[in-house]
Amino acid sequence: MEWIGRSIPRIGAQTRARGKALFGGDVPLEGPLILKLLRSPRPHARILSINTERAMKNDGVEAIFTAKDIPGRNLIGLITKDQPLLAHDKVRFVGEPVALVAARDEESAIRGVEEVEVVYEDLPAIFTPDEALDPGAVPIHEKGNLLHRRVVVKGDVEDALSRAHLVVERTYSTPFLEHACLEPDAGWGYVDKDGTLVIVASTQNPHYDQREVAELLGVEKERVRVIQAATGGGFGSKLDLTVQGFIGLALYHLRRPVKLTLSREEVFLATPKRHAMKIWMRTAARRDGRLLALEAKIICDTGAYSSYGVAVATRAAVHATGPYEIENVRVESLAVYTNNPIAGAMRGFGVPQVAFAHESQMDILAESLGIDPLEIRRINAMRPESVTATGQVLGESVGLLEALDAVEPHYREAMEEWKKGPRRPYTARGVGLGAMWYGIGNTGVRNPSTVKVQLDERGRVVLYIGAADMGQGSTTVLVQMASETLGISPEEMEVVIADTGLTPDAGASSASRQTYISGNALVRACRKLSETLLEEASRLMGLPRGELVLRGGNVVSKEKPERRVSLAELAALAKERGVSLEFEGHFDPETTPLDPSTGQGIPYATYSFACQMAQVEVDLLTGQVEVRRIVAAHDVGKAINPKGVVGQIRGGVAMGVGFALMEEFLPGSTRSFKDYHIPTAADMPEVIPIIVESSEPTGPFGAKGVGEPALIPTAPAILNAIADALGERIYALPATLERVCEASIRAGWPKMGKGGGPR
Amino acid sequence: MNPEEKIRISFRLNGREVEAHVLPGETALHLLRERLGLRGVKEGCGIGECGACTIVVDKKAVNSCLMLAAQLHGCEVLTVEGLESPVGLHPLQEAFLEHDAIQCGYCTPGMLLSAYALIISRGVPTREEIVRALAGNLCRCTGYHQIVDAVQDAARRMAGKEEGRW
Repeated sequence: MEWIGRSIPRIGAQTRARGKALFGGDVPLEGPLILKLLRSPRPHARILSINTERAMKNDGVEAIFTAKDIPGRNLIGLITKDQPLLAHDKVRFVGEPVALVAARDEESAIRGVEEVEVVYEDLPAIFTPDEALDPGAVPIHEKGNLLHRRVVVKGDVEDALSRAHLVVERTYSTPFLEHACLEPDAGWGYVDKDGTLVIVASTQNPHYDQREVAELLGVEKERVRVIQAATGGGFGSKLDLTVQGFIGLALYHLRRPVKLTLSREEVFLATPKRHAMKIWMRTAARRDGRLLALEAKIICDTGAYSSYGVAVATRAAVHATGPYEIENVRVESLAVYTNNPIAGAMRGFGVPQVAFAHESQMDILAESLGIDPLEIRRINAMRPESVTATGQVLGESVGLLEALDAVEPHYREAMEEWKKGPRRPYTARGVGLGAMWYGIGNTGVRNPSTVKVQLDERGRVVLYIGAADMGQGSTTVLVQMASETLGISPEEMEVVIADTGLTPDAGASSASRQTYISGNALVRACRKLSETLLEEASRLMGLPRGELVLRGGNVVSKEKPERRVSLAELAALAKERGVSLEFEGHFDPETTPLDPSTGQGIPYATYSFACQMAQVEVDLLTGQVEVRRIVAAHDVGKAINPKGVVGQIRGGVAMGVGFALMEEFLPGSTRSFKDYHIPTAADMPEVIPIIVESSEPTGPFGAKGVGEPALIPTAPAILNAIADALGERIYALPATLERVCEASIRAGWPKMGKGGGPR
Repeated sequence: MNPEEKIRISFRLNGREVEAHVLPGETALHLLRERLGLRGVKEGCGIGECGACTIVVDKKAVNSCLMLAAQLHGCEVLTVEGLESPVGLHPLQEAFLEHDAIQCGYCTPGMLLSAYALIISRGVPTREEIVRALAGNLCRCTGYHQIVDAVQDAARRMAGKEEGRW
């Protein structure tokens, strides 16, 4: 293959290197009105009145909008429509938008926001799912505080428990996390010559944005056009509407250019977070390490509104077994409303949280049974034809054993040499493993993508791809697939990305789905084009079709390469003959919905697998953990762009280090990077990425996905390594200095006088 | 000083003399980005925690959100827009591209300038020096490794070639 498996340069990187890419805040319009939001300072309150009179008296203030100015349906939400764009009867979290001010300059906008008078009547606020589920709790939403309950049951758990040699039961907790994209959410808008409201914003989800804004405004979808601006990271936070609805509302009423850039503080307060979770898990095993049963109860704090809460609770339940074959399963996962910030999608949709639990369980079992942690994973690892907790029989692309094999030499070396090597006094070394599986695409619901390809009159191939690229590199891999299918280089193609006015709907850039799903759609579209071109060329050249191939921008005879016809000639000919050279490819993975009472079904068409190993050094006196090395083996099916895959792995590991050791969003107090630390260059361990390719027959060129999987095993591996170092385990993330010290003390360290720390 | 009264300043920006009237409280970030239209100067947090707005002032990397515009008076200022030359990209930019050090690209201008300031002061820095110099520039996408590689590579290519600029 010429273009698949090659690390071609990332498309769009050059513009970014030059500082010329237009991100959501880089408005190229003259004198746009500045939009600013008044946000609720109360976590839960009734709105008694909103008075904008005084604020409107400010010279620079042009307009102030509240819920009553929303002409369509004032309800948004990716799955469940439960969130007003602007609060009307009550507010449900600190930071909820209440009024939108449009002003001629920044200062007036700020003054306008300050002078809107809102009278609230406080309601009891609820900050934990436990309180929210209390029968006497105040309902945050009319339908109550339980957003969703997902059950996955299979086999006979009671029977398995009675037969088990060992049962391990623990409770784990993980905090809210902030995505911390370097670019704060931003966008701008203007009204086109034909009256279309054009919104240019940093987003992962342009077609959803378009539908949602149209519904808010009560206009035809075609009256709203959403174009993705250069987007400075997403990680799930830019799947929801952040600025798009407000820009749309202002455009609708004012018909003038506007811009809205959220401050970092607003991003912290008001964009979705990773769900905080409490996970109770009971795992039963035979004496030989074979897992017999898994039981789990997962409580997801979904905050004030649902966002992707249903999907997160469901995905957490489906993935709770980890990448292991377990015959008897009973999992219950609840998404619960509270007055905390909205929790939505964040890289992994609940799987990073459950992976912390199932991987800790694996190590506890291994230790109790006297089995090597790598071996117990191997014994139970999913393989082709394994049956999952939802009753799905896996296909042939299950690369977990290969990933374990790839990590093994590093693991043995770390355990046998590095761990015993010389070290500073009062430090301890540990080695830990983390494994994962991850279903590609949305869970048991339709999630189609359509891609369009055209050979234009000049003979140029133009790709119309609706998939938003937030830096992960989807555009690059999709273009490589087109190059491979059409036999022309990436430079010879034009690409239009994520513009609802031009590109078909490719669905959200989430769930690690674009390589697999849009990749398939794109290959189908390109094949249709190539078929037609070959047919036309066969007619023109008088050669059998089977003798012709597309190569280097020509249709060439395989036998006599000097006989060729260029794409430009074919385009001209097609035009003459009235043959269309525009094709759409469509792909929707084969899944079935999960049964509501048992959770049985086929939630994903394929899964990615991975295993990572962490080597850590723990300071027994201060609790500081230094991650020395991460070895990360990922089964991606086929790496279309190996450098891109490595980039995802390294970035995922960095996020995993943050999840393991430092990141914690505390509702009510976290507001800035001063109190929310993400890893810097100085916090990064050596990372050894290993690409495993267990080809997926239904994937484009065998590819699956890697975006989210990259992050998932890191924190479990680090926490297992800390436990290995201390001989004591931490059950709550992040493993802060305090928690590590506490575990160290529990383990009896530091043992003064011994000089060298444990082991 | 009257907070409403503008101060006249002049400084060299990307090799050209510029003059501006600035308010005493105005940040360098605001002047460069909002008023002089240099969109490559990014705002990530506004409080000096993320490094996205890093520029080079008199050979030193600074957070332009924490510097007053008035302090630029008489200084030599470099932003990402001034890195490339008419003949092409700067070696740092080329190295960032070759090493796949750019994903979303929002931290890139700041990273480039922190790296630039390091290299002109240290020549070919060690990996540890690079890591330390970039520790004030957050990146959420790459995991940093590719950036450090790129800086090391660029430093070798740049050796002694930047003197003319200052």
